[in-house]
Amino acid sequence: MKKMSYAAFAVVFAALPVHAEELTVATAGDQNMVDYINQYLGPLFEKTYPGNTVRAVGTGPGDAGSQKILERFDAQSAAKSDKWDVDVAVVHEKFVGPMVTKNYLDKYRSDIETGKLVTRANAKMALGTNVDGYVMPMFNSQTAIAYNPALVPNPPKSYAELADWAKAHPKQFGYNGIKGGASGVSFVMGWIYAFGGGDANTLMNGPFKEDETKKWDAAFKSLADFTTNATLTPGNAGTLDLLSRGEIAMGPVWVDMFYSWQANGQLPPTMKLVLPAPGMPGQPMHYVMPEKAAHKALAEKFIALATSPKVQAEGIVKRFNWYPGIDADNVKRELDDTTWNKLFVDISPADLAAKGKPFPIAPYNTAILEAYEKSVK
Amino acid sequence: MPIIPPNGRTMPKRFLGLLLVLPALAVIAFLFILPLIMSAVGAFQVEGTFGWGNFTKTFDLYTKDIIFTVMIVSLSTVLIGIASIAIGGYLTLGEHPVAVAILRWLYRWPMFIPFIVVGQILRTFLSKNGMMNNTFINLGLLTPLDAVSFLDWRGIVIAFVWKQTPFVALLVAGAMASINRDTIEAARNLGASRLRLLLEIVVPQVAMTLTVGLILSFVTMMSVLSVPLMINAQSPTMLTADIAFRVNSYGDYGVANALGLISLVLAASVAWIYLRASLKERA
Repeated sequence: MKKMSYAAFAVVFAALPVHAEELTVATAGDQNMVDYINQYLGPLFEKTYPGNTVRAVGTGPGDAGSQKILERFDAQSAAKSDKWDVDVAVVHEKFVGPMVTKNYLDKYRSDIETGKLVTRANAKMALGTNVDGYVMPMFNSQTAIAYNPALVPNPPKSYAELADWAKAHPKQFGYNGIKGGASGVSFVMGWIYAFGGGDANTLMNGPFKEDETKKWDAAFKSLADFTTNATLTPGNAGTLDLLSRGEIAMGPVWVDMFYSWQANGQLPPTMKLVLPAPGMPGQPMHYVMPEKAAHKALAEKFIALATSPKVQAEGIVKRFNWYPGIDADNVKRELDDTTWNKLFVDISPADLAAKGKPFPIAPYNTAILEAYEKSVK
Repeated sequence: MPIIPPNGRTMPKRFLGLLLVLPALAVIAFLFILPLIMSAVGAFQVEGTFGWGNFTKTFDLYTKDIIFTVMIVSLSTVLIGIASIAIGGYLTLGEHPVAVAILRWLYRWPMFIPFIVVGQILRTFLSKNGMMNNTFINLGLLTPLDAVSFLDWRGIVIAFVWKQTPFVALLVAGAMASINRDTIEAARNLGASRLRLLLEIVVPQVAMTLTVGLILSFVTMMSVLSVPLMINAQSPTMLTADIAFRVNSYGDYGVANALGLISLVLAASVAWIYLRASLKERA
């Protein structure tokens, strides 16, 4: 009997470490991303798979946060570590390409159930790099022009109309340049898509040709003129701030931020969004898993849960007003119509399909940013 | 009994002393000097080979920002100097004890507020419909149409001056308090006005302390990222914002290092002025 109980203890102890795993999730992005994992996804995962814990690490907002994760991987790869200290990472689209090219990531999508639910093209190509199988989109976000209908009764439908409007209303259009957050970057990319003189599709899909970068001079010259007539805002939140205080009448914003601010009462409910032709960029955030993650099986379960239709509906759409990462129809089924339609109040699904663009592929992206730095001073 | 040679003990003692400072030396060497050298070397590296590429690009894109940074920081330094002389002077020469006590209590506060918080406060305070303009409008000093946002270079200068003045004023006031009061009394007896007392008797005696304080402020302001980022990360902007942008948007450490080296040269040139002045004083 005594022997039996010893054996039983031994089995229990042997089994314990398997169950008591700590999953480390590193996430780029604003505080809301860390909150999402700490307050919603983590507890849900711990409830679904009892005994395990989730540790969320925020690496900071914007590209800087993803850059830090990439550098963390670089360091562990250079040190030839067997087990990396990150199990799941949430990174911006721009950084997935380098991670895949450097062979840091695990090709896990076909291993998980929800992998089949991914339909958008940006889960296959990330700014010109084939990342098919390595990523699961957490959500898709989009930029658009927010405006105050009291001051702008007829919002511009295209970039050309927008430029005319801004000329007629000096300092009423505000954006945050390219150093204060991606909504300004996105506006600039849209400007080049509209007035660049080359083929916008080449910018989005490649291939990279040096000649193409020479065709933007006129566009940047007009953007420089446009900018002297515009108000420069401090950051993504700065644009929304100025809009809510009536200091500007129009400006580029992230759609999810716009809706969240409205829901919190930080932005008047009367504000509206418009997506001008030919379109503005948006981007997904991706779940990735390092090849050398210490808790691979658990990491797959975590990502599968995070990309399940239920979580995408409840967490991504309902709580954060992001567009879902997986196929929209599967998510829509989990939600009532009012919640779903909230996503499409100002921008219809048709608009989104036609004018929601990806960012340019990485080399064009860099070239455009540098050209901006050179010409818009 | 073993005989100890006369200098037998001094050798291990010297060795022991070296051993004691070794941890501190190692920290400085590995965490400060080594990264500094690596970043300086990195500034000259372009895709594995050495060259001037990073500097060509830096001057091509950021010449305006370099000038902007120098102008902003210099202007702030001058204003900090004036303000801290005024504060220190009033604390030393002021005749109203209550006013002096209040000022003494008040002026140090900004020192304890981090730069990022200063940026945050001023962002709402200085904007077009911010608290400052609203106050002016309510007082009837300004019409809503004339209100302008101060969130540009002026905002950065205001933030720097507000945050750094107490630090310099603290040093200057301390130095002023310790100068020989006889010189002040003598000048006063001869009928000098308080302004003249301050500028011709007090300030020359604390000039060295004032310079040290201003140089330390200059170097601190050169390195602040949060304020330009919160108030004006546009073009032109300060070098720190550009360095962050190079790293975060392009992953380009080469140009970032070059920018870093340039700001090091700017800071060092100020320190050189200080060194020369202090050597002259000692000679």
